[in-house]
Amino acid sequence: MSGGAPTATGPGPGGPAPSVRQPAMQWATGPAVPVISVIVALLLGAVFVAATGNDPIAAYAALARGAFGTPYDITETLVSAIPLVLTGLSVAVAFRTGLFNIGAEGQLLVGALAAGAVGARFAELPGPLLMPLVILAGILAGAGYGAIAGVLKAARGVNEVITTIMLNYIVVFVMHWLLQSGPMTAPSALGTPASARIGDGAILPVILPNELVPLSRLHAGILLAALAVAVFWFLLWRTSLGYELRAVGLGARAAAQAGIDPARRMALVMAIAGAFAGLAGMIQVSGVFQRVFDGFSSGYGFDAIAVALLGKNSPLGIVAAALLFGAFAHGGAIMQSNAGISSHLVSIIQALVLFVIAAEAIVRGIAGRSRRGRKPVEAIA
Amino acid sequence: MTVDMVIGASVLAATLRLAAPILLAALGGVISERAGVVNIALEGSMLVGAFVGIVAAEQTDSIVIGVAAAIIAGTLLAGIHAIAAIHWRSDQIVSGMALNILALGLTSYLNFQLYGTTGTPADVPDLPTVADQSILVWVSLALVPLTHLFLFGTVSGLRLRAVGEHPRAAETVGIGVRRVRYAAVLASGALAGLGGAYLSLSVAHSFTDGMTAGRGFIGLAAVIFGKWSPIGALVAALLFGYGNALSTSLQGATIGDTRVPVQLLGTLPYLLTILAVAGFVGRSRPPAADGVPYEKEGH
Repeated sequence: MSGGAPTATGPGPGGPAPSVRQPAMQWATGPAVPVISVIVALLLGAVFVAATGNDPIAAYAALARGAFGTPYDITETLVSAIPLVLTGLSVAVAFRTGLFNIGAEGQLLVGALAAGAVGARFAELPGPLLMPLVILAGILAGAGYGAIAGVLKAARGVNEVITTIMLNYIVVFVMHWLLQSGPMTAPSALGTPASARIGDGAILPVILPNELVPLSRLHAGILLAALAVAVFWFLLWRTSLGYELRAVGLGARAAAQAGIDPARRMALVMAIAGAFAGLAGMIQVSGVFQRVFDGFSSGYGFDAIAVALLGKNSPLGIVAAALLFGAFAHGGAIMQSNAGISSHLVSIIQALVLFVIAAEAIVRGIAGRSRRGRKPVEAIA
Repeated sequence: MTVDMVIGASVLAATLRLAAPILLAALGGVISERAGVVNIALEGSMLVGAFVGIVAAEQTDSIVIGVAAAIIAGTLLAGIHAIAAIHWRSDQIVSGMALNILALGLTSYLNFQLYGTTGTPADVPDLPTVADQSILVWVSLALVPLTHLFLFGTVSGLRLRAVGEHPRAAETVGIGVRRVRYAAVLASGALAGLGGAYLSLSVAHSFTDGMTAGRGFIGLAAVIFGKWSPIGALVAALLFGYGNALSTSLQGATIGDTRVPVQLLGTLPYLLTILAVAGFVGRSRPPAADGVPYEKEGH
């Protein structure tokens, strides 16, 4: 299956082998399936736009102009792509180990809450002290939350799909409590419950001078995201731990034969996945919002599944897919205000992308490489 | 905090009201997973049911057509999942996630297209009530013994369970694995669509974007916490509904000087489900072939 598109889940110890087998730079050499998926989704989306009495060409033109029309729009597209890169890495590192992390959304929120709490609590600290603290808080909180699913998987064989779905909802309600009547409640001018503003030292600076791109919000989080991509690549393809993780992803039983304990690697990789997502939450707090509020994430953790699959779990692929989805996110909002077409069109297109990737057999047919024998998804639980 | 806030008649009535949509989704989930297909698109089926139910009822001024349309819409979305999961052997979780996003996008898009920013009209017909509860609450309760009898007391039910436990063996005795699975997934979508109709036509009397707010997923939790049985699903749905009712009735209540953290009650379904699958609260075991695509021999 060297040309195989990534499968979603992998085996428990002793389960069937998944087909997450492509070298790191697969996407760069073989982007046929992802590109076709996007084209098919755009075509289906166009049919839908036409069927509802709108002009698809005008819609897509507005979408593209919205995403890339001015230098400012390009920076906003990048701002939207940053959390998607990180949550995409989170989902991908788990896929590479044969696990399905649906929990990036929850891990992102936990990371954001931790970063927001630390950033506000120690607001007086100078930046060189506070910034590392806030970054660490986001990463550790996300890692801890991810580790819950990993440890339950390793110790009790619990399917991580179930636990991560449940953990996503748990953090939402905890967040309601923290922000509405719990210890993080603060006077809010947002019209929605929010935490106190973080200290200046915890804020990621805008990196483009105002004279170059007026009002740009493009912040230093983009550098952290780039660093995370490098870490992802280095960890998986340049360390022995990464080798072991990928070995477990290729086949837990074979890995066990080779002396790797799949359970321990699975527990660990969920913590790593949570760390990436937690960093995404921290970046949204420190780079964009300066606080945490109800409805903080617009589903970055869920979009991440499509980002990872579209990017074939490879570093470059994830960056490309996150840029595409970032363009959808920013462009969609502009399209709605300028062309009067609901920004939800982009959700439809993203769903279609995901669906077409899931129905990989069909894309393969279109790509002219009909292949059978996808490995089954593991039984739920 | 008073006793009435915890077990008063209004809390119990609210429990039933809040449990009904969870129960409908959960019964659908039980049927689908017993046949071996994980359908996390129940949330999406519920959402399209809620939307199409309102639109159809409002256009035709008929509540019956509204409910029927909701069931059909939920079934159609599940049909897409069935084709993906059974025919194309797609990953069932990815397909389900995609359809949930699609349902949210489609309904929000069409809601904007049809009603702009004003929202759905207020003059949609109402569902009849029996003993102060929507008739659909009683329907959902009646479906529990019916589903139980079907699964454990009929030949069709036995076949459905066989397909979910050991499809290969079922095939060798002449059961059409794919056909049974299609039927089960479609039925799950119909039930979730009905749950959506209940939410929009009976509870809210309107549609708002994303109004199912994860109830399909709570239904999924109820399937697991209820150990893949209709009666277990009922117990779980009532428990989760009760938690939900409490979080409303205890709003602003205090114990001593401390405000009751009602929001945390919302975590109950999810915490209990995690504890159940982890084996800390009984052991929850899914059907053996749940989520595993079936391929005929010789392919």
